[in-house]
Amino acid sequence: MNRGGTKMDKRQLTLYFGPQHIGMVGNFSITLTVEGDMIQKAVANPGFLHRGFEKMLENCTYTQGFPYVCRINVMDPDPCEQIYAMAIEELAGLEVPPRAQYLRTMVLEMSRLSSHLLWLWAYANELGFDTIGHWAMAQRDYFIDLFDMIAGARVYHIYIWPGGVRRDIPTGFAEKMQQTLGGLEDSLKDYDAVFFNNRVFRRRVDGVGVLSQEEAVRFGVTGGDLRATGVERDVRKEEPYAAYADMDFEVPTMDDGDSYARAMVVRKEMEQSISIIRQVLDKMPEGSAWHRPPNPFKWKIPAGETYVRMESARGELGVYAVSDGSDKIYRMAYRVPSYPHGILVLEKLLQGMNIADVGHMLLSLNIAAPEIDR
Amino acid sequence: MREEAIKQDIEQRYEACLVTVPREKRIGISLPKDSLFSLIAFIKDEGFRHLSLITCVDWIEEDEFELVYHLASYEDGIHAIVKTRIDRADPVYLSIIPLFEHAQTYEREIHEMFGVDFTGNDRLTPFLLTNWEEIPPMRKDFDTKEYSERMFEHE
Repeated sequence: MNRGGTKMDKRQLTLYFGPQHIGMVGNFSITLTVEGDMIQKAVANPGFLHRGFEKMLENCTYTQGFPYVCRINVMDPDPCEQIYAMAIEELAGLEVPPRAQYLRTMVLEMSRLSSHLLWLWAYANELGFDTIGHWAMAQRDYFIDLFDMIAGARVYHIYIWPGGVRRDIPTGFAEKMQQTLGGLEDSLKDYDAVFFNNRVFRRRVDGVGVLSQEEAVRFGVTGGDLRATGVERDVRKEEPYAAYADMDFEVPTMDDGDSYARAMVVRKEMEQSISIIRQVLDKMPEGSAWHRPPNPFKWKIPAGETYVRMESARGELGVYAVSDGSDKIYRMAYRVPSYPHGILVLEKLLQGMNIADVGHMLLSLNIAAPEIDR
Repeated sequence: MREEAIKQDIEQRYEACLVTVPREKRIGISLPKDSLFSLIAFIKDEGFRHLSLITCVDWIEEDEFELVYHLASYEDGIHAIVKTRIDRADPVYLSIIPLFEHAQTYEREIHEMFGVDFTGNDRLTPFLLTNWEEIPPMRKDFDTKEYSERMFEHE
């Protein structure tokens, strides 16, 4: 296992964790230096999903970019579309009608819920709670059906479009939505009973991978991982976009910063998302769902730069966009939430941990490898 | 307005600095490369403790790279975009790791994608690319089409 020539203590071994590993979800790998089952050093190796999207965006017109950007995060695609649309709208000075802002809010929360449910599937499976895993995955599928209904696509929706959304919701959608939300609410009780309040779960994850508040701030961690250390920071509150200014919701926090705290933040966020979607359906204004942008083949955006940000399921998602006045973006850089905690924080937390804890600690951080690679 | 107060504060301290407030909760700062490190240290003390992103823009026609540092404040949610330009022919700059530890990863990516060297960063190792032997791919003179045709023998 040890490569020839490297000087290591005789008792130390190099262990490759992923990309082909039963405990590894997503295309990611970690090289561990272990002594016994104790990790001495961890090196994160991203890049298995590097598709060069930022370069490709420089070669395509503004609307051609949409099929690329949603693939930046496989689990949570809609925020990547929203942030791309927000950057274009701000550079071009394009208005978004109120109804579209509400529909966007709804889609973003649906995406957050399906991402959290997918996370619950992986996390529960990793810890040996296979039943919960299957329940969560089945529940996620109902949301995927709803996406299918509004966008005609299940995983990558390309529903958000410059100037609004691609089309209004079909008849019967709101009823189906309420039904699905009710179903999820019932399921959450089951998840609590079998998983979140389970003593076995609690004892397995309590005190594992503790990230202190000071460290989280120092390493630029955002989202649920930061809120699990007691910092109440959420871009939806800090700088409301879409229709979040009209929504009444809480930002759940925990204090301990360990795996359990991170899991509970996700659990509580699901409740808030359900409430936000219900408010959207109640308050949705009438009117058009789309302000038509200019001819997409001849659309030139004035020169300028902007930084827009929002809260995705994993934290602060941002775009720094520079336009040179042509019909293609000059430079577009994505600030992805998994970036800080997927590399340095992970490497730091894994030090001194047992091999058996790597898989579930990794998942409790909620790292999305495709996001890091882009 | 808090943005305006910060703007005046910076303008007093750094004469060669151009500060704009494009909209609410945004500050844009452009300055020469020799004072960037001290400015970032200064605004970090002013509350901008969140380093959100470091990125680079290749201005090939002006023969310059623009390094863009994004910092945000936890207290009032203001986001500052700090920019400086360096010579494209000799792309070397100071690492800001002494101020923000996790700048390491961003600098590592810029080193790989644009070929900028950061003095003081000892981990400028390959990051996302594997066995890359061409010019850094995010540079504007890297031709994606030519590369893929040569690489994958496209007819």
